[in-house]
Amino acid sequence: MSNNRVSRRQFLGYTLTGVGGFMAAGMLMPMVRFAVDPVLQQKDGGDFVLTDQRAEDITEEPVRVDFTFEQTDAWYVSEVTNSAWVYREGDKLIALSPVCKHLGCTVNWAGDPEHPTQFFCPCHAGRYEKNGQNIAGTPPLGPLDEYLVEEQDGYVAIGAVRPNTLV
Amino acid sequence: MHFIGKDMDQYLSQKDYVDTAVVPLLQLDLSEAGLKSSAGASEYLQSLTALLEKQFKGRILLFPPVAYAKSTDRLRLSNELSIEMKKADFKHVFYMTTDAEWRSVEELKNVLWLPAIPTEHMDRNFKQSVMEDQLRQVLPLFLKEWS
Repeated sequence: MSNNRVSRRQFLGYTLTGVGGFMAAGMLMPMVRFAVDPVLQQKDGGDFVLTDQRAEDITEEPVRVDFTFEQTDAWYVSEVTNSAWVYREGDKLIALSPVCKHLGCTVNWAGDPEHPTQFFCPCHAGRYEKNGQNIAGTPPLGPLDEYLVEEQDGYVAIGAVRPNTLV
Repeated sequence: MHFIGKDMDQYLSQKDYVDTAVVPLLQLDLSEAGLKSSAGASEYLQSLTALLEKQFKGRILLFPPVAYAKSTDRLRLSNELSIEMKKADFKHVFYMTTDAEWRSVEELKNVLWLPAIPTEHMDRNFKQSVMEDQLRQVLPLFLKEWS
């Protein structure tokens, strides 16, 4: 038996400290969790979508590469297939968005027989150079957007879209 | 463009450029024999028009499918639709359908009749390439009308 007798005052003091500590922890823990949350977020693979186009088959002539991803639109999940025009410049891959900067139609490489080295929009005859530069005098007001693109295990992978950095 | 609120703002400000309406005409046949093919035709028609919209987003306004019963009087429906379409200033109106009865309705201009292809058993990639083949048949008709 211990000889240290705990007085009533001490007992109440210990008890209040303990309970108060739990309450304080209960309030602080969520705050700390919220504060450090951005650090704990996991990045899933850089959001690159792997296509079935072999990277070594890409030449200086743009080819259409399709890629599919899941898109959630409110409660409706659908598989969306988008495409990109991919070509090689030096040892670098370049992927351009096919969405016309005028009103959003899909542009085609060499779509107009009179301009076989340009992108052509069939809606209002907009034209772009190979690097996406819009041609003055046609309706589009800006260059085609560019996709981040990389090679993964010999195949082309397409990433996020960003404004054109080539022009 | 789709017939949704967000696209309408853009449509109203770009009316000069968006001069073509596309109206899918869809027959509902709910009899036991026709149910499945009617649903398949609906899937086909909506996939095709969605692809078409993606290609020509800046020039066409794609309406939701006009669905009607098998016994509907096509002539009356076409008259009512034409009157409604005239209220908007479209230069070109295309109707797309898989329903063969429209071929005998001569009052309606620019009806594109396509035989439905059942796509339900195709895998995704194959379906995509089949639908793109179908789209390639339709595109020249639009380009011809526009030129």
